[in-house]
Amino acid sequence: MELGPIWRAMMRNKTGAILIALQIAVTMAIMVNAISIMQERSRMMARPSGVDEANIFYISSVGFAEDFNERVAIEEDLNMLRSLPGVVDAIQTNSVPLSDGGWSMGLQTEPGAEIQGTGVAIYFVDEHGMETFGLELLAGEDFSPGDVGWRERSDTEWPDKGIITRAMAEALYPDDPDSALGSTVYINDDEPLTITGIMKQMQAPWNGWSGVERVMLVPQHTLFGATRYVVRAEPGRRDELMPQVEQILADSNKGRIVRNMRTMEETRERSYRSDGSMIKMLTFVIALLTLVTALGIVGLASFSVSRRTKQIGTRRALGASRSAILRYFMTENLLISIVGVLAGGALAVGLNMWMVDAFDLTRLGWYLVPVAMVLLLLVGQIAVLGPARRAASVPPAVATRTV
Amino acid sequence: MLSMQDISMVYRTDLVETHALRDFSLDVAEGDFVSVTGPSGSGKTTFLNIAGLLEQFTKGRYELDGRDVSSLSDAQRSKVRNEKIGFIFQGFNLIPDLSLYDNVDVPLRYRGFSAAERKRRIEHVLDLVGLGSRMKHLPSQLSGGQQQRVAIARALSGEPRFLLADEPTGNLDSQMALSVMELIKQINDQGTTIIMVTHDPALAGMASRNIHIRDGQVSDVEHDTQLVAAIAG
Ligand SMILES: Nc1ncnc2c1ncn2[C@@H]1O[C@H](COP(=O)(O)OP(=O)(O)O)[C@@H](O)[C@H]1O
Ligand SMILES: [Mg+2]
Repeated sequence: MELGPIWRAMMRNKTGAILIALQIAVTMAIMVNAISIMQERSRMMARPSGVDEANIFYISSVGFAEDFNERVAIEEDLNMLRSLPGVVDAIQTNSVPLSDGGWSMGLQTEPGAEIQGTGVAIYFVDEHGMETFGLELLAGEDFSPGDVGWRERSDTEWPDKGIITRAMAEALYPDDPDSALGSTVYINDDEPLTITGIMKQMQAPWNGWSGVERVMLVPQHTLFGATRYVVRAEPGRRDELMPQVEQILADSNKGRIVRNMRTMEETRERSYRSDGSMIKMLTFVIALLTLVTALGIVGLASFSVSRRTKQIGTRRALGASRSAILRYFMTENLLISIVGVLAGGALAVGLNMWMVDAFDLTRLGWYLVPVAMVLLLLVGQIAVLGPARRAASVPPAVATRTV
Repeated sequence: MLSMQDISMVYRTDLVETHALRDFSLDVAEGDFVSVTGPSGSGKTTFLNIAGLLEQFTKGRYELDGRDVSSLSDAQRSKVRNEKIGFIFQGFNLIPDLSLYDNVDVPLRYRGFSAAERKRRIEHVLDLVGLGSRMKHLPSQLSGGQQQRVAIARALSGEPRFLLADEPTGNLDSQMALSVMELIKQINDQGTTIIMVTHDPALAGMASRNIHIRDGQVSDVEHDTQLVAAIAG
């Protein structure tokens, strides 16, 4: 190999080489961090909501008639829904995971207004909640019909029982999460509430919330005028049930309207739509930057080949084979690219450290920088292949034919 | 040493065919110093390129060192150039971005010599042409005559059997031309076969033999170069 002379010759014309190395470095820094962001988003998107997404759908019901009796309507509706063939179970509730709208409260292990509670998402359910959502109880027990009360819009009283997620137990009792079961916590500063069950997992309605895994089910029906029914279908029967349910609810009570029927799958898709398009956009940016860098390499190499045509002919006359010329330009590119990816590695890590600080992003995976280095070195070698082959085809007679 | 028989070289473009050499025949013996003269465009460079395996000819037979070279692959031709032939060009053809040391190193690296062997040879030939103290300099820091000396050192570094020079003094003033010619003459005295194209009859006269090319053919093989010099002079 002739690394020494190639390097020394390059150092005499470094402007172009430095610009390309810089371009490679910047591309690499952006590429690595964009991939890291994409990975983070994908990880977020891959988190389970904890509910039986494939088989659940929900629909809103809003009473408007003067004589609309919400409590009666809810009881009738639930009886009707639960007896429908193909329905596993159904509940009335306020919200569902990933729907972006819901209710949250603070729970604290000691009473007192001065104490900062731990935020928790609240789902109002009855004794069918666990079954309808398809949740798994790790410890304690499910609600019984006697636990379930009715809550008016003006009520501020909370029930005295709740089932929380394991994640919420860990947040409340970081040292001993198991002690959560049976413990008394306080809601609204000083209303005691006993944890009667720990469930494995369920997400809050807000996917971007850092406490998204902190959830509590409370045994209450709500009488808020507008409500939501969640229906869990037997596997494969969701799509056939949806229009049926909509029709039956609409027909059974003319004092309300039903609307916004949606599957959990669609809810997930909507919830992560912006993340999905961000991933697409970042992919496009990476592809574009890589292409521009590759074109820059082609440009620099082509320029350097045409500037050195006579030199190439002379080298051929002095005994260089075609492959030796090819190797010369490939090696030159490799040297530039190595400088570029080394600088790019440092830049990528620096950029990431800043973004971790400023935007609370995750650290780079250890393998991202080396993988991007190899990738960009490969891109460089492929890009330079064309100009290098043109160089190799310069005839040796150029040595005597050009002045 | 070199034997050409009825070599023809035709350059074809879309519009014209140029017969650069027509039935060109020449034998050069080991140790000869042949000067080649002729008007511009007569085919001197074409002859030199073919002799030096820089170009393929259209027709004829060419044996170099007893070997028919027409069937050699491109890689084999490169190897023959590297090992057996030294080139000196009118424009010196030094690589501007490389030091004198690295310039002389170029053919030696293609030869695959060890670093120590290359160093020995580079220092030896640069000393030989009187530039041993300027190895780290760039070509642009030298005069034309000095640059051509480096080019000669580069040509000699591989100890070629055969030295080809196309107007080696064409870009030099007469003072420098003479010193370069003396160097070339010395090299011939050591036994290297030399073919040198020149349009300067006085320089041609320093060779042991002169051929004159006209319209791609040897018009005149004159062994007594003194006579040529006398006529031209
Ligand atoms: N690559 C080429 N393509 C076409 N014609 C060429 C080429 N090289 C040389 N010629 C022509 O061949 C003839 C001989 O050229 P050359 O050997 O360079 O002459 P000299 O060196 O004696 O001046 C000239 O007419 C020249 O124009
Ligand atoms: Mg010529």
